[in-house]
Amino acid sequence: MVSFILKRIASGISVLVAIAFFTYCLLYFSSANIARNILGEFASQDQVHAKELELGLDRPLLTRFFDWAGSALHGDFGVSWFTSEPVVSAITTRLPVTLALVVVSIVCITIVATLLGMAAAVKRGWIDRLVQGAAVVGDAIPDFVLGIVLVSVFAISLKFFPATSSISPDAGAGAWVASMTLPVIALLINGVASVAQQIRSAVIKQLEKDYVRTLRSRGIPEWEILFKHVLRSAAPAGLTVLSLKFVGMLGGVVIIEQIFALPGMGALAVQSTSQGDIPLVMGVVLYTVIIVIIVNLLVDLINGWLNPKVRVS
Amino acid sequence: MKFGPKSTALAVLAAAAIALTACGGGTNSGGNGGAAPTTLTLATLQDIKTFDPTDAHIGHRMPIYQAVYDSLIRRAPDGKLDPMLATEWSYNKDQTVLTLKLRTDVTFSDGAKFDAAAAKANLDHFKDAKGQDAYQAASMKSVAVVDPSTVAITLNSPDPAFSYYLTQALGLQASPKAIGTDGIKTVPDGSGPYVYDAKSSVKGSQYVFTKRAGYWDKDLQKFDKVSFKYLVDLTARTNALVSGQVDGALLDPKTGKQAEGAGLVAHKSQVDWQGILLYGRDGKISPALANVKVRQAMNYAFDRKTILAQQYLNEGTVTDQVFGPESGAYVPALDNTYPYDPAKAKALLAEAGYPQGFTLKIPTIAGYDAINAVFKQQLSDVGITLQTESIPDANYVADMAAGKYAGATFQLYQGEPWVAINQMVSTTALYNPFKTEDPELTALIKAVQNGGDKSADEAKKVNEYITKNAWFIPMFRLNQMYFSSKKIDVQPQLQQAVPSIYNYAPAK
Repeated sequence: MVSFILKRIASGISVLVAIAFFTYCLLYFSSANIARNILGEFASQDQVHAKELELGLDRPLLTRFFDWAGSALHGDFGVSWFTSEPVVSAITTRLPVTLALVVVSIVCITIVATLLGMAAAVKRGWIDRLVQGAAVVGDAIPDFVLGIVLVSVFAISLKFFPATSSISPDAGAGAWVASMTLPVIALLINGVASVAQQIRSAVIKQLEKDYVRTLRSRGIPEWEILFKHVLRSAAPAGLTVLSLKFVGMLGGVVIIEQIFALPGMGALAVQSTSQGDIPLVMGVVLYTVIIVIIVNLLVDLINGWLNPKVRVS
Repeated sequence: MKFGPKSTALAVLAAAAIALTACGGGTNSGGNGGAAPTTLTLATLQDIKTFDPTDAHIGHRMPIYQAVYDSLIRRAPDGKLDPMLATEWSYNKDQTVLTLKLRTDVTFSDGAKFDAAAAKANLDHFKDAKGQDAYQAASMKSVAVVDPSTVAITLNSPDPAFSYYLTQALGLQASPKAIGTDGIKTVPDGSGPYVYDAKSSVKGSQYVFTKRAGYWDKDLQKFDKVSFKYLVDLTARTNALVSGQVDGALLDPKTGKQAEGAGLVAHKSQVDWQGILLYGRDGKISPALANVKVRQAMNYAFDRKTILAQQYLNEGTVTDQVFGPESGAYVPALDNTYPYDPAKAKALLAEAGYPQGFTLKIPTIAGYDAINAVFKQQLSDVGITLQTESIPDANYVADMAAGKYAGATFQLYQGEPWVAINQMVSTTALYNPFKTEDPELTALIKAVQNGGDKSADEAKKVNEYITKNAWFIPMFRLNQMYFSSKKIDVQPQLQQAVPSIYNYAPAK
């Protein structure tokens, strides 16, 4: 078990380095106008050139990359070229918002999709068709369209929730919950479909197995068979699609964050990338890759805990 | 029951959401009247880079800097110059030395006193820092401290816009102890009507300011708390305004209708002109553009009124000149220079030697795709093919400045005449990358520079020259659709995208 974890961490680090280098190469090739963008339209060509020298934009790719990597290993990710804000502080103030949004959405999706998937698999008939139909509709409507509709109805017309996020450093938990409710509902409606489908198919397959019949003949209550035994075996399929969803959401919530004005990573990532703010982009990419590696590792461990058959010995 | 767990779970989720919103949700709004503290919350389209005054920029970002920093001169909503940290100012005879008398009762947040030495430190630093608005200090040669409350600025050559610049980024005054330090980038140190509340602010999301105790002009302090929310997404901004989360925001013609329907007050002002810049007048990239008849033909080819009605719901005024009505260089008759006349356009093209038309390539970005499609169609009616090349947003201005294309669709703010000339007409102008010039025009520009009080009048002749010679294809002056809630009174600021912070007050 321990060697499994260590092996995964080691491969995670090599993925991290590879992605960091690849990203840096991509940024290098698109760094033509960064100095001009920092200084603005009224700066002279001389000033732009001086800025380029100051930022090291004239140095070769490998020199720049190893410079950056060297400081990064010491925990110094530099400061944003545009706002002079330290990269680490920019990310740590914004990451909690995005993570909160994604984690709460994933948890809600898990609970609702499991219940819906199991209801469909167990009951079949019209419940099954209703759940499948509703899930497909929810999946087809983009999450930001749902978000806009929810805002119009619940925030502007009914005034149950604030129209844009009221999250700030001095806001209490109430503000966080109020600001997150509508975005989470939008992501939930949109995300439930595929997970519910996976769980439904997996549960159906499990219910056909012999051990279920055996457990029933032993007089074990139905709900215990479903939730303790069948679900554990059906879990891997759901967990796989959930982990894919989690990773997809980390970047995919950008538009939701923009509509609800949530101070998360989305806007930071989009703006820094389009401006060419290299230190910030590298910081965002690194944090994202680290989170993805951790999530994948956790999913593998949970899978192994739930179902000894898939454990790597 | 089999459905127990599912419906219970959903019911619990729903109940939790509704219950918790009771403690944190609902609209927030500042109370007004009586002893309740007054709050002003504004939506802003642009985020500030840092709180260093050398990073200040005209337009959307100014109100944020105005909250914490005073400037030497203050510009009234109608453009008049009012005293602020400078109580009076005057030029010498040949317009090269500006002497300002300063207030003596102003202190900064860190306790430092404002005096001539502080003003000199700020002006010198602004010039050296080469920030985005560094062009405002371009004509400044040196600053001298005459006595603790008098400062004399010597210019390289007359600059009719210089006192205007002292109301903008150039004039912002930070504490001499904080100038040039790294700290001022994240925590401002000024003498303005409000003080930055770092604990409640989030960089890139919201900036909160509270009333400064002991501020030297109580009339400029209309609120107890001022808050700026950075809402770049138009939908989020409209929702925030309509639901009462912000008291003022800049919208567009379509979302403006939604705001009007919700009972918000519209304040329309005209700041920008939109059209096509034909800066490839030297003919290197597009030989046809070197011929004035070709450029004039292009001006005749557009049905400006219809485009304005269809694309912008008539929120604006058609125009044939790039100078605005309040600039002083406006000539009403010039707006009839190019009525819509495709036949005349074709005739002029034939006279110029292009009876079959020609092809012009311009860059385009997402924001201009729609209007460029309209331009393309109208030009094709007279035989001109407009090719558009999509480029990333971040490269648009840079590519224009580098002279990669012969022309581009753009909108520029219609500032003071000398500012506008330096922006797009003079040989050092950013939007004249091929440096086209003409002896007649150069003489007219010199007259503006040396015109002193009459420089706006002299600029009328520059206006006539570039309009008749079709340096540009101005289309319309678009309305800034600024909306505010009924709780506040606000006046638009001349030639500024959004009102200055001093123009807001609680509704009577």
